[in-house]
Amino acid sequence: MHFIGKEIDQYLSQQDYIDTAVVPLLQLDLSENGMKSSAGASEYLQSLTAMLEKQFKGRILLLPPISYGKIANRQRIAAELLEELQHTKFKHIFYLTTDSEWRTIDSLKNVLWLPAIPMEDMDQSFKNSVMEDQLRQVLPLFTKEWSHHS
Amino acid sequence: MSNNRVSRRQFLGYTLTGVGGFMAAGMLMPMVRFAVDPVLQQKEGSDYVLTDQAVADITEEPVRVDFTYEQTDAWYKSEVTNSAWVYKDGDKLIALSPVCKHLGCTVNWAGSPDYPTQFFCPCHAGRYEKNGQNIPGTPPLGPLDEYQVKEQDGFVAIGAVRENTLV
Repeated sequence: MHFIGKEIDQYLSQQDYIDTAVVPLLQLDLSENGMKSSAGASEYLQSLTAMLEKQFKGRILLLPPISYGKIANRQRIAAELLEELQHTKFKHIFYLTTDSEWRTIDSLKNVLWLPAIPMEDMDQSFKNSVMEDQLRQVLPLFTKEWSHHS
Repeated sequence: MSNNRVSRRQFLGYTLTGVGGFMAAGMLMPMVRFAVDPVLQQKEGSDYVLTDQAVADITEEPVRVDFTYEQTDAWYKSEVTNSAWVYKDGDKLIALSPVCKHLGCTVNWAGSPDYPTQFFCPCHAGRYEKNGQNIPGTPPLGPLDEYQVKEQDGFVAIGAVRENTLV
């Protein structure tokens, strides 16, 4: 499910089935040199999570990307997210990011770190096949987590 | 000319009828146009989307066929890629929607090694027969939807989605 009004209604009535939250973590870099790669990473992360949502629509709720600046205190963001997610009934929470700094934060479980692939020069069909490949690497991580605890 | 004289009265009568007729037509024409408008409306684009899957390569084993069309959400246009599971039943092409009738996940043919001849939904282990019939005891409550499908120049063309007509 996407984080939009209509689908949240459905989520609220089907919380037993939709038991997984997906949180994209997105670093913003608005400096002249960093902007382009930051935008590329954002495009990559959002395409990937959208495809993931399409595949697992009935089991995951895709939250909007949590965006933060370069100097953001990841530890604090993690604590705040966990605090917020405590109020929910999600059994599994996945964080997807292209920002390598999250690898050092232990408080979040299931952080999937993926190196961003710049896609702006690819044509549509090549882009699709690259993203399909990326998705195929992520899907088993979800099914594995689900089969472990269910 | 002299035997066919038009009197002043007749002339005025013809003139007024003519002018009145034009005025009445001027009013009636738009009304008629409004009334028949839905019939004249042209459908936007063709209903079938051509894919790059050759019909000759389709077997009885369902394969995933992607197709892309343009979708307009209010002012925002975007390219949407959808897929269908296409197979041949005898000579007939069949295209099933991959959207699980439970909560909308994408189902896969032979997605579970335990059931190699069924569609499998990875989210909550829903299963469907090859013709889209949902298997009782699994979460889905209805059969997979079906796409209208036809052959166009040797390639698969996919049309509108409709309720499953096979089960």
